[in-house]
Formats: sequence, structure tokens, C-alpha cells
Amino acid sequence: MTSLTDRYLAATLRAVPAARREEIAIELRGSIEDMIDGRRAEGRDAETAEREVLTELGNPTQLAARYADRRLQLIGPAYYLAWEKLMKLLLSFVPALVGVIVGLLEATDGGNPGGAIGEGISTALMAAIQIAFWVTLVFAVLERTNTSLNLPAWTVDQLPEDHTNRQITLVDTAAAIGWLVLVIAYLPIQHFRSFVPSADGENLPILDPALWSFWLPFLMAVLVLNVGLEIAKYRAGRWTWPLVGANAVLNLAFAVPVIWLISTDRLLNPDFVNRWEWLSREENLNNLGTVAIVGTVLIVLWDVIDSARKAYANRH
Amino acid sequence: MVSDDTLRTHLQELRRGTVVVASLIALRRPDYGYALLQRLTGHGFPVDANTLYPLLRRLEDQGLLTSEWNTEESRPRKFYRTSEEGEQLLGRLLDDLTAVQTSLTGLIEGVDR
Repeated sequence: MTSLTDRYLAATLRAVPAARREEIAIELRGSIEDMIDGRRAEGRDAETAEREVLTELGNPTQLAARYADRRLQLIGPAYYLAWEKLMKLLLSFVPALVGVIVGLLEATDGGNPGGAIGEGISTALMAAIQIAFWVTLVFAVLERTNTSLNLPAWTVDQLPEDHTNRQITLVDTAAAIGWLVLVIAYLPIQHFRSFVPSADGENLPILDPALWSFWLPFLMAVLVLNVGLEIAKYRAGRWTWPLVGANAVLNLAFAVPVIWLISTDRLLNPDFVNRWEWLSREENLNNLGTVAIVGTVLIVLWDVIDSARKAYANRH
Repeated sequence: MVSDDTLRTHLQELRRGTVVVASLIALRRPDYGYALLQRLTGHGFPVDANTLYPLLRRLEDQGLLTSEWNTEESRPRKFYRTSEEGEQLLGRLLDDLTAVQTSLTGLIEGVDR
């Protein structure tokens, strides 16, 4: 039967470099025995003394790390900020971008149009996981090999213009643009590949195809202008009155046609409506329309008031 | 009232570097790990065994200590001794400690309570 000391030594030595193992083993065993002798001289019995000494030396892995001068951290202060910055930057747009591209490809050539959005979302998730894993792995290796990144030293010139007042962060902007791109992409996708087959198995667009003559391209153009607005907002870093005005105009340019199309029953594809018994009942369609209109009005009001409130808060 | 945790952290910070200084002084007379631990503790430098033993090896790797195995006694023991380089470093560290003490004294005298 091996003693506790033997087991402690084995556990410690497993984690120190092989080249020094032998020497450390002899020295550490000697030190432990010295310590045990010291305790026994104070009147403890052998077993208690051994337990106390090993408890005092603590976790063998930690002791081994001290011998090997190994750091007990995945990513230390030298690399942490670079890791965090790169992580935020990549996660802010790569998963969304990859997801949209895969979703679009799937929707246009895949045999399973219904799964296109699901495919896009799961691809985006996988991309996020892969990014998080590989970036962290690379930095953990850098930490262990003590590689210098040779990053330029920080200078005062890097101070953001209006750091304390920046209302619009890169993450907000990236998320907003990501959503706009998704919606812009969805308009044509639903025409070619909606989830709904007609009675004879053909694809059934959700929005009225007649709208392609003007209104859908118009709405897409408004959304593209919204992307521009997001970029302008980010460059300004905060809400200004011209931005509030442009935001209000773009909101109205989208909401007014949508509300008008809903209220005149021209937004949804009539074939699509007739496909559903519940939806094709007059009062249900009207109720749904009312809910959509109220929802749209509330969202627009909230967005415009919120932007105005933030611009007002910026006055000097 | 300062909390025990805060006090312990600050004392630890203050004491951290002094273990090296004390070891370099003590090892002008060669000694092995456990005996050094006892001597340091006896002179008011309580240090954890799991800090001191790896520290001795690191100082040896840095050339500040030399070592020699003694196999005459009941168990083989590695005796460390402060090297020439270690002595030089020790001189610089002691100068700096004195400088810190002088600065502190000056500061204390210059500041009214």
C-alpha cells in the first residue's frame, strides 16, 4: 500500500516538466519528511502529522504549477483586452453575415426552402461557437508560449472623441444593420420560397406579388436607406436633431405605405389568405390587420420619441 | 474598521518581495528547504512551504542561488547558497528597501496629522 506522501508526490510530479522530475521528487520528499518529523517532535502521531503537512502544502497541481512557473489562468492581463476586443468585433457581424448568406443560398437553391431560415440561424450559432472557441484557443496558446503580440502601445490619440456621450455603440449598429439586412433579404425570399405550398404544390408568396411593380422595391429602398442611417448614426456617435428628422422620415416612409396597404387589404397575397380558412374569414383578417396597424404605429411612435428624447438629452 | 480580508491582502502585498530578500540573506549560510523555512519563521518572516520550496528552485534557475546535494545525513538534502550574482542583486534590493524606508520617514514627517 502506498503512503499518502507517495500519492502526493506522484500527483505533484505528474504536472512538472519531465526533465526536473527526478530532482524535485527527491528534494520534495525530503522536505515533506522533514516537515513531518518537525510535527512529530511537537507530539503529533505519524498519521496526523502526515495529513497536516500535506494539507499545508495544498493542492498538488497548484504546487506543481509553482515549480514549473506556470500561470493558473487561461488568458492573462497581457492578452485579455486584445482577446476581448477581437471577440466582440468578430461576434458582432460574422455570425449574422454567415447566417444570412447560408440562409439565402439555402432559400434559392436548396430543396427544402422551409428550413432556410432555421438553417441560417443554426449556421450563425455554429459560427459564433467556432469563433469563440478558436479565438480563445489561439490566445490561450499565446499566453502559454509567452508570445509577444507586438501591438502598438496605447496613446492618448486613441481616446474616443466623445467617449462618455457615445450613445450608439458598434454592437448596437452591427445588430441593427444585421436585422435590416435580414428583412431586406426576406422580402424577395418569401416571393420565391415561402413556407406555404399552394393546393397544387407550387410556392405561394406571402405578400401580394402585384406589389412588386412598385411598393416592395420602394420598401426595400427605404430599408437600404435605413442601413445608411445606422452608419451615419454610428459615425456621429449620438443622436442629433438631423438624425432624428431623417429617422422620423424613414420610419414614416416605411410605416405609412404598410399601414395603407394593410387597411386596403393589398399587402397579403389573396391566394395566400384563401389558403387558410381562419385567415380568409373577413372579420379575422380585419382583426389581424388592426393589430398589425396598431403595432406598427406604436413601434414607430416609440422609436421616434426615443430618438428625440436621446437627442434632447444631448443638448448642452 | 479595516476588514480582516483587506488587511490580509495588503500585508501580503507588502510582504511579497521581502521573502526573496530574507532568503538571499539567510542563505549566505547554506541551508536546505525545511531548515530555511524554520529560520525565516524564527526571524519573523513567516512563509508558506508551498511558496518557499518552488521559490528556491526559481532563484536557482535565475542563478541567484547555487545548490549542492548533501548525502551524508539520513536523507539526501539539497543545500542552497546565495551566489555571487545573488549577492549583487541582494545589495540592490537592500539599497532599495532603505530608500523606501527613508522616503516613508520623510513623507511621514512632512505630513501633518
